[in-house]
Amino acid sequence: MSLSMPQDQSPPPLAGAGAARRPGASRRGKRLAEALTGYAFLSPWLFIFFTFVVFSLGYALYLSFTRYNLLRPPEWWGLEGYQRVLADELFIQKALPNTFKYVLIVVPVQTLISLILAFAMDQKLRFRRGFRTIFYLPSVTSSVVISLIFVWLFAAQGVINQITGLTVNWLDDVNTAFYVIMGMNVFTTSGTLMLIFLAGLQDISPAIYEAAEIDGASKFQQFLYVTIPMLRPVIFFVVTVGVIGCFQVFDQIFVMTNGGPLDSTTTVTYLIYKWAFRDTTIKMGQASALAIILTLIILAVTVLQRRVIEGSGSSTA
Amino acid sequence: MKRLHQALSALSLVALLLAACAPAATPTPQVIRETQIVKETEVVEKVATQIVEVEKPAEQVVVRLSGWASSPAETALLESLLYKFSVENPGITVKYEPITGDYKPALLTAFASGTEPDIFYMDIFWWQELAKSEVLLPLDDLMASTGTEKADFIPALIDAFTFDGKVYGIPKDFNSLGLFYNKDLFAAAGLDEPTDDWTWDDLKAAAAALTDTSDPNKPIYGLGVPPDPGRFPAFVFQNGGGIMNADYSDTTLDSAEAVGAGEFYTAFKADGSGALPADVGEGWQGTVFGKGQFAMVYEGGWLIPYLRDQFPNTNYGVVLPPAGPGGEGNLIFTVAWGISANTQNPEAAWKVVEFLTNEASQKQVLESGFALPSRLALKDSDYLKNNAAASAIFRGSLEGARPFFWGAVGSDVNDQISKALERIYKEGQSVQDAFAEAAQNIRDALANQ
Repeated sequence: MSLSMPQDQSPPPLAGAGAARRPGASRRGKRLAEALTGYAFLSPWLFIFFTFVVFSLGYALYLSFTRYNLLRPPEWWGLEGYQRVLADELFIQKALPNTFKYVLIVVPVQTLISLILAFAMDQKLRFRRGFRTIFYLPSVTSSVVISLIFVWLFAAQGVINQITGLTVNWLDDVNTAFYVIMGMNVFTTSGTLMLIFLAGLQDISPAIYEAAEIDGASKFQQFLYVTIPMLRPVIFFVVTVGVIGCFQVFDQIFVMTNGGPLDSTTTVTYLIYKWAFRDTTIKMGQASALAIILTLIILAVTVLQRRVIEGSGSSTA
Repeated sequence: MKRLHQALSALSLVALLLAACAPAATPTPQVIRETQIVKETEVVEKVATQIVEVEKPAEQVVVRLSGWASSPAETALLESLLYKFSVENPGITVKYEPITGDYKPALLTAFASGTEPDIFYMDIFWWQELAKSEVLLPLDDLMASTGTEKADFIPALIDAFTFDGKVYGIPKDFNSLGLFYNKDLFAAAGLDEPTDDWTWDDLKAAAAALTDTSDPNKPIYGLGVPPDPGRFPAFVFQNGGGIMNADYSDTTLDSAEAVGAGEFYTAFKADGSGALPADVGEGWQGTVFGKGQFAMVYEGGWLIPYLRDQFPNTNYGVVLPPAGPGGEGNLIFTVAWGISANTQNPEAAWKVVEFLTNEASQKQVLESGFALPSRLALKDSDYLKNNAAASAIFRGSLEGARPFFWGAVGSDVNDQISKALERIYKEGQSVQDAFAEAAQNIRDALANQ
């Protein structure tokens, strides 16, 4: 299993943490040299990080306080952009509720499905390697390709309607379009999450299961009282990654519905795109303000989540 | 004397060799490489060519040109025009850099980073934003330098690219809407084919008579009525109304004329004689028309090559959109060539634009069948006389036609028109309420510009 666990995501060893000391060499000079070597190895990544993350984030923050149409230089606008975002009907009535709805439905469903899949794949089933590949396949396929496949599957005269005999125009109906996109997202991400869970499962010592079995725990009880508590850090990781990903859902909506019908699939990221690139008068500043607001929302939700999961962790431990 | 002559010609040969090598050093599109070959043969014929002329390629002016690539055939047409240009103007190298996908964001970000092309497509729908931001070169002086006049072009087109009294874009071609009708379905229903003199009443009666939904697998509807802001406004114009007021500072979508047009348009779907493309599982009504499931659609000249390629057996005709109570009404879709205000070579850029929109090039555009020429002189061309379909689309620009442009909040206006129609179709909202809501939202957008 090549996938790294969340616990392993601490920064790579830098300044020779456990370096053997050699007599004669200046300790301080050696540490400095090692640190420099470390940073030298990191430098390509650091360059990318500063160019595409630190600089871009900082510039977006600056733009969020300006009025900018890409053609004239940005003009300082203070908090006007933020005020307009918060007064925007499309944001308040459609994009924000839609985004939360998306997160609240997709995250639990995809976490549960991938956990069950991982648990099943961890058993000694026949052909489990084949199944693993099949479940993982959607995750390595381009989301645009999968979106197009779903567009055809759910077209008015598509496969789904022909099999079920329904005449629903799935992607053009305000009551169904968003759920089709949610289903597709669960379909594509569950494979990756399953792999992460699988890695976590294989870290659980068989001795614990043996002990539980001796105590007379059924398979289901083992799942509930051994697997899930042991997987807590992995679950936190999967849910966090899921929440962040769901708050940022864009490409599927861009390909499948363009935010329609009647804004029923307009999410915050789609609204950012619309303001930044699609409107006749480009509103780059206002779009940046919304992007900053979205970042703050995601940050708040992630911190809250960590508190909740760690809190419940300490109470049951 | 003889010796001097020999020396000169030897020198010119060396220079020629050098010049012939030049293109290899800088990778340029095929177009340019062929120019060099032409030059070579030309020079070989007259051995006495002066050195000065041979040296010209060394001071090549490079002009970058960009546009979207809507179809391979259209790209090929542009490339062949550029090739002709390169033959006539060896001193100017045109680098063609088509943008596939989302054109406007790509162009605007190029402007933001100062890497915009010298010459580029500008859609009528959003070009004014560029003019207002002062990133376009006014073309009036350059036009005067080559004797190009505004009067050479269809007035509605050149006026649409005039801002504050200055011309900023030369329309390269255009389209308007025509009523496409399926001749076989008209014959099967025993109806007379439409004419340019049709009115709304004729349209309504024909749509009802043409509708035949007895076969659930292949229902036939009289008229396509998509919730499309590129179709519906023509009906508002035909009813004597407008989408925006004269200076685009307010919308008139809640006027009696617009609401009346909305009632007429949506009634087709309500009484079953019209349908949306989605109702028959398609995204575009052109496809439905090709399949013979919509007997009539309002589309532009782009449908002609599409039908030729995809549905060659569809037997169709095109007439002017039927007149409403307020007379003729039509929409004009057009794209112009604009030049960046930051260009290093305005004269060379203008030469390219002038060439691409001159009568000879426009004639080639017309005869290719992709779009209609913007030059008024081609009104009486043989091609239009022999092509009733193209002729109907061309004439559509002359009668009651207004540009597809709604001002600075144009995209919001488009969104609101299609949403209002969708609310009527999907949620059963009344036309009056739907248009009042749309007008309110447009006013909010105008206030929040």
